[in-house]
Amino acid sequence: MTDATTTPNGASPAPPKQSRRQRRRQRPSKVTSRRMMPEHLLPDFIPPEGVPLRFTVAGVGARLGAQLTDILITAGFVLGIILLVLLLRVELGDGWSILFSILFLFIRAPYYILTELLWNGQTLGKKITGLRVISATGGSLEAHSVVVRNLMKEMEIFVPGTYLIMAPTLDGLTYVIVLLWIAILLIVPLTNKRRQRMGDMVANTVVIHHPRAVMAPDLTAKVPAHSETAERYPFQSHQLDHYGRYELQTLERVLQAGPPYSGPDAKRRHEQSLQTIMGKILAKIDYPEKVPEADALAFLQAFYKAQRAYLESRRLFGDAREDKFHKEENGKAE
Amino acid sequence: MSEDLIRSARFRAEREADWKRLQEIVTKAEKRGVRRLSFEEARDLAILYRQAVNSLSVAREISLDRALLDYLDALCARAYLAVYAPQETLAGVVWRFFARGCPQAMRRSGWHLLLSLFALSLGVVAGWLLFITDPSWWNSFIPGDLGGGRGPGASTQQLLDVIYGDGQESGSQLAAFATYLFSHNVRIAIFCFALGILACIPSFVLAVYNGIILGLFLALHFDRGIGWDLVGWLSIHGVTELAAIVIACAGGFRLGWAVIFPGNLTRRDQLRRHGRDAAKLAVLAAIMLLVAGILEGFFRQLVQDMETRLIVGWGIGLLWLLWILLAGRGSTAERRDEQRGAHAHYGGNDRLGEDAA
Repeated sequence: MTDATTTPNGASPAPPKQSRRQRRRQRPSKVTSRRMMPEHLLPDFIPPEGVPLRFTVAGVGARLGAQLTDILITAGFVLGIILLVLLLRVELGDGWSILFSILFLFIRAPYYILTELLWNGQTLGKKITGLRVISATGGSLEAHSVVVRNLMKEMEIFVPGTYLIMAPTLDGLTYVIVLLWIAILLIVPLTNKRRQRMGDMVANTVVIHHPRAVMAPDLTAKVPAHSETAERYPFQSHQLDHYGRYELQTLERVLQAGPPYSGPDAKRRHEQSLQTIMGKILAKIDYPEKVPEADALAFLQAFYKAQRAYLESRRLFGDAREDKFHKEENGKAE
Repeated sequence: MSEDLIRSARFRAEREADWKRLQEIVTKAEKRGVRRLSFEEARDLAILYRQAVNSLSVAREISLDRALLDYLDALCARAYLAVYAPQETLAGVVWRFFARGCPQAMRRSGWHLLLSLFALSLGVVAGWLLFITDPSWWNSFIPGDLGGGRGPGASTQQLLDVIYGDGQESGSQLAAFATYLFSHNVRIAIFCFALGILACIPSFVLAVYNGIILGLFLALHFDRGIGWDLVGWLSIHGVTELAAIVIACAGGFRLGWAVIFPGNLTRRDQLRRHGRDAAKLAVLAAIMLLVAGILEGFFRQLVQDMETRLIVGWGIGLLWLLWILLAGRGSTAERRDEQRGAHAHYGGNDRLGEDAA
């Protein structure tokens, strides 16, 4: 037995070193791919059509903001009604306590349930902050889910919140328990990828940022095939072998940024970065001709088109190149 | 012109008009609701959404155009939200709850209701026995303001005054007491329900505790020979209110049950399954507490006669019972439908057309 345990230990020094070296070689590509993935993407959201959709999960901060907005709105609503009653000089007598208890009851769970049901998962606060509740199953948001997540809200926000307001009157132990309670409730959403609070878990819902669709123009359309630019900057296929998807899309982002510019300073900075990028690309692909710095935009547009056409056709043949390390990775695989 | 473009750009150019049209419809639906779309728009929304999702799937394979992918991602997500928005009206949701969902959930929770009733009765018996052994137990169980000045030290006349006090004289005091009791019991109900998730135990303890309070009250008044007056006074709202606590507690037990006995499912999944009925029980409990609050606030002081109090209180209790036993006994298929929560899975598209038409 002892022999069996010691031998691997004795033999072990070599393999870890190797794996560390391997890890080091892999590291750059890992970093870049992580940088490409937006951080809070909702994983595995598949609607009935079967094509995964991407939603950005709302963080704890955004949701606290929405919650506070809602509390302010509802408190304002109650104040407004009370002011109205006072201004109209209605004699209520005992009615005050009834009015109060009904109003205060309404601005808790019922308000959230009604608004989320009527506006497809948005309370007024969520509308203002651009958040929305969706069903994590990929189907439509059910009345049941809305009710459950807001009933749980009672336990998660309102009851501890009330205790916190009453804090000065509480004895030490209760105070500690309430603080612990709130701490746990704040930690729960941070422990899972979907930022679900307990109500969300039971109801199977997720809070997301409402997506905004902005269509940027297709950059390749700016370089027609037989135009002056395309003919001035021809590229050979070996010159296009250096980069992958990540570099292409980074270049796209830079090209999409300009014009119109926000000011002369922005224009200068953009032109400078275009020139820097062009310099790097020229060096990397070993471009035989000299390109004047003033032509950086035209060159990069032509390069973008050629590179994209090349990468896309490689992709169709099953050679999807993630980034500039694709050669190393392929080499290793072989 | 089209030969000028590379393949993925051609793909985009061919479909861009449709996406723009979809975006217009989706924006309209977001602003004014799917219900306000015209027939053509609703029809196009469904068709164009499927096409856009299809394009997205293809684009992810063939295109490296970040602008296009981001746009399609966001567009499809927005269209999905519009297409799969809940199609039911609020009135429909409420009607479904009262006509089918709630009574069926209650009938499925028979054992849990019995267990919760058992816990409450256990408490009542315990409270009674405690009071008989030593009336000073009263002070250790009943919080100061809940008794409203009542206790072993109060005279029989004082106790009777609370029971038959006319509304005018002690009006504001009663209103305050009513709200307090209301919120006290609401809190108990909420705790009973939500703490059930911790393996039923807190719910059980809370139900027993509530029973003990009731038992102490009963024992005190029967001791003075005015027990039935208290029963009458309590009945008018208490039947509804105690039933609500029992129901909330049963809801908690269903959650706890899922945690203790998850069966073949994971605890989270089993919790979701039981949560379907448990939530209905909780909502019913909340509604019954509201009704009890209204009964307490208005009828208790209006109806002074003991017999009428008993009749009204238990009559309302009987109505609740009849509703739970008789409502929503449709065909078996319908019931199975409900149990699966099949309403959620109706595709938005099939019903969109109907709505618009």
